[in-house]
Amino acid sequence: MATAAEAARPPFWRNVRVLRILGQVIFLALVAVALRELYLNLEFGVRRQGQDLSYEFLRSRAGFPIKEGISYSPNQPYLRAFLVGLVNTIRVAAVGIVLATLLGVVIGVLRLSPNWLLRKAAQIYVEVIRNTPVLIQIVFWYFAVVLTLPAIEGGFSLGGVFFLSNQGTAIPWPRAGPGAGIWGLFLLGGLVVAAVMWSWRTRANERTGRPHHRLSLSFAVFLALAGLGYAVAGDALRLDVPRVTGLIYAGGFRLSPEYTAVLLGLVIYTAAFIAEIVRGSILAVDKGQKEAGAALGLTPFQQLRHVVLPQAMRIAIPPINSQYLNLTKNSSLAVAVGYPELASVSSTMINQAGRAFQITVMVMATYLTMSLLISFVMNLANRAVAYRGVRR
Amino acid sequence: MSRLPEDLERAPLVIAEDERPLEVAPAKEPTTPAEWVSRNLFSSRASGIVTVVVGVLLLYVGLRLLRWVFVSADWAVVKSHLRGYMIGRFPQAEIWRIWVAVYFLVALAGVSWGASGLRLTWSWGKAITRGLATLAALGALLYLIESTRIWLALLSLVALFAGAVAAGRTWRFVARRLVIGGWLLSFPVVILVLRGFGGVAPLEWGGLLLNALVAVVGIVLSFPLGILLALGRRSTFPAVRLLCVGIIEIVRGAPLYSWLLFGVFVLPFLLPPGLRLAEIIRVMIMFVLFSSAYVAEIVRGGLQGVHQGQYEAARALGLPTWRMMALVILPQALRNTIPAMISHFISLFKDTSLLAIVGFLDVLRIARIAPQARFSGSLRQTLLFAAFMFWVVSFSMSRWSQRLERRLGVGER
Repeated sequence: MATAAEAARPPFWRNVRVLRILGQVIFLALVAVALRELYLNLEFGVRRQGQDLSYEFLRSRAGFPIKEGISYSPNQPYLRAFLVGLVNTIRVAAVGIVLATLLGVVIGVLRLSPNWLLRKAAQIYVEVIRNTPVLIQIVFWYFAVVLTLPAIEGGFSLGGVFFLSNQGTAIPWPRAGPGAGIWGLFLLGGLVVAAVMWSWRTRANERTGRPHHRLSLSFAVFLALAGLGYAVAGDALRLDVPRVTGLIYAGGFRLSPEYTAVLLGLVIYTAAFIAEIVRGSILAVDKGQKEAGAALGLTPFQQLRHVVLPQAMRIAIPPINSQYLNLTKNSSLAVAVGYPELASVSSTMINQAGRAFQITVMVMATYLTMSLLISFVMNLANRAVAYRGVRR
Repeated sequence: MSRLPEDLERAPLVIAEDERPLEVAPAKEPTTPAEWVSRNLFSSRASGIVTVVVGVLLLYVGLRLLRWVFVSADWAVVKSHLRGYMIGRFPQAEIWRIWVAVYFLVALAGVSWGASGLRLTWSWGKAITRGLATLAALGALLYLIESTRIWLALLSLVALFAGAVAAGRTWRFVARRLVIGGWLLSFPVVILVLRGFGGVAPLEWGGLLLNALVAVVGIVLSFPLGILLALGRRSTFPAVRLLCVGIIEIVRGAPLYSWLLFGVFVLPFLLPPGLRLAEIIRVMIMFVLFSSAYVAEIVRGGLQGVHQGQYEAARALGLPTWRMMALVILPQALRNTIPAMISHFISLFKDTSLLAIVGFLDVLRIARIAPQARFSGSLRQTLLFAAFMFWVVSFSMSRWSQRLERRLGVGER
C-alpha cells in the first residue's frame, strides 16, 4: 500500500502544492523587481534635482504662514505645519460627520413622510445636491455666498449673540471658570452613579419584568448631581458671548469664512447621501415587522423606535461608514478655498520644500490611518446593533 | 477574453424581451383632486400645519429664486463663455473634429441600442409628448444661446435613431458583433479624430470635453484593471491576494486630490529617466488607478452574488479556471454590477471637477476665471451654470440607471 502510494506520487515539478508555492515565489520576485526599478528611478531623479529621500527636512524651518488652527509660527519646523493641517482636517471632518448625520437622518425620514410636500422637498434636495460635484458646492459656498455676505459692520446678528458676516461666524461658547475642577469631579461622580442606576434598573427589569425606565432615571440622577455640583462649586462655567470690536469678532467661538464654507459644503453634500441610506434601510425592513409591532399594540412611534429603527440601523451602518470616510477624504477639497487642512498645507509644503514623494506618502498614510480609525469605531457600532445570541 | 463582451451583451437581452415585470399591485382607484389633497397634504391637523408653513416657505424661496434666475441675474457671462464651457480653448477652425466625434459616438450608441433589442416601451402618445418636450427644451436653449450649432446637436438625434433602426431590423446579429469592436475602437478613433492629421493637442482641450474625456478614459481603462484586482482579491494564492488587497485599500484610503498630487509631482520621478509623459496623461493615469480600486470592489460584490453552484457546474463541465471565469462567472457577476457601475461612473464624472485644482481648464476652472473685466461680480452665475452642466449629465444618467435596474431585474433572480 505504502509503496503504491509513493509510486503514485507525482514528481515535484508536477506536484500542485509545490507549483503553487513556486508560482507565488516567482510572482513576488517579479513584484520586487518592479518595485526596485521604480525605487531606483525615483532615487536617480531625486538626486538629479539635488534632493534626497530622507525625512530630515521636516525639522527645518517651514517659513510660510498658516491662517488658522493650533498655535503656529512660520519659524516652526515643517512637522509642526503638517500637524496644524492634520488638526484642521480633524476639526472639519469630526464636526462635519456629526452635522451630516443629523441633517441626513432628518432628510431621510422626511423622504418617507406621509406629507407630499415634505416628501417632494426632501427629494428635490437630494436629487439636486447628490448630482453636482462637491468641489463646485464648496467653491460656491465660499466665493458666492460666504464672501459676499455684508462686511462685519453690516453683518447679521441674532439677538446680539450669534454673528454672521464675510469675516465668518461667531457663536457663544462655554468656557471653564475657577470652579471647573470641583464641578468636573461632581460630573464624574454623576456618571458613576448613573451607570450604577442603569445596571440596577436593568437587573430589576429582568427579575420582575416591571418597566425599567433606565434611561430617564439614570439621566435624572446625573442631572441632579451635576446641578448640585454646579451650586457647590460656583462659577464653574461661563458662557463666552462674542462681541464686535472694530473690524473683528472677539470672544465666543469663531469660525473662519473658509471653515464655514467647507463645513457647509461637506455637510450638505454628505447629508444627501446619508438621507438616501436612511430611507433605503427603513424601506428595507420587512413590512411585516411593523405590522407585528402594531398587532402587539405598539403606537406608531413605538413601532419605529423599538421595531423598525433597530433593524434599519443594522442595514445602514456599513454604508454610512463609507460616507464618513468619503466626507473625511473630501475635506481635502478645502484646498480650493484655502482652508489650511492637511492637503492644502502639504501642497504648500511641496511647492516650498520639494520632497514631493515624502510629503505625499505622509499625507496618504495619514488619511489611511484616519480611515482605519473611523472604520474601527464604526465596526464597534455595528457590533453593538448586530443580532445577538440568546442573551438579551 | 474576447468571448466575454458578447456574453455580457447577450445577458440582458433575454430578459428584456421575455419578461415584463408582473403587475402585482392592484390598479389604483381613481381619486378626485380633492381626495388626493386631503390624503397627501391634510391627513391630520399636524400635517395640515406643516403643509401650510412649508408651502409658504417654499413658495417664498422658489419665487425669489425664479425672479433671480429670470429677472435680476445677468447671464451674459455664460453666453459669451459657452464655447469655453463646452470645449475650453479648442480652436474654432477645428471644431468640426468634435462634431465628427460626437456623430460617430451617437451613431454607435444608436446601433448598440438597436442591436441590444431593448425597445422603447412608450406608447405613441407618450412618445409624442416627450418628443415635443425635448424639442421645446432644445428650442428654448437655442433661443437663449443664440447659436445655430444646436441644430447640429438635434441632427445627432436623427443619427441615433437611424443607427437604432438600421441595426434593429435586419442587421441585428451582424450589428451585435460589430458593436463591441466599435466601442473598443471608439477611444482611439475619437483621439485620432481630435488630434490626428494636424489636429489639436490635448493641452488645448478643455471644458466639458475634457471632463467627459477624463471620465470616460477613467472608467474604460479601469474596467479591465478593476476586474483583475477583484479576481486577485479572491485568488487562492495568498501572495496575489495580499498584493491586491493592499493596492485596493491604499488607493481607496487616500483622497483623489492626493493621488492627483502624486501624479503631478511624484510620478515623473518613478518613470524611467528617458520617458516623459504630458501632465494630462499622468493625471489620467491617476484617475484610472483611483477608479480601478473602486471598480474592483464593485466587481467583488458582483462575484459574491454568483451562486456557488455556478462554480461547481463550470468545474463539472471541465472548464479550466480562466474559461470558467470568462464564460460562466464574470458574465453573471458583471450583469449584477451594472447599476453600481453607472453610479460609480457618475461619481467619477463629478470627480473630474478636481482637474480645476490641479490646473486644467475644465468646466469649474472656466467658471472661476470667466467673471473678469466686464463680467466681474457674476461668479454666482458661472458657478451655478457649471454645477448645472454636471447636474444634467449626472441626473439623467442616474435616472437611466434606475430604469435599467428595473428592466434587468437586478436582485430579483
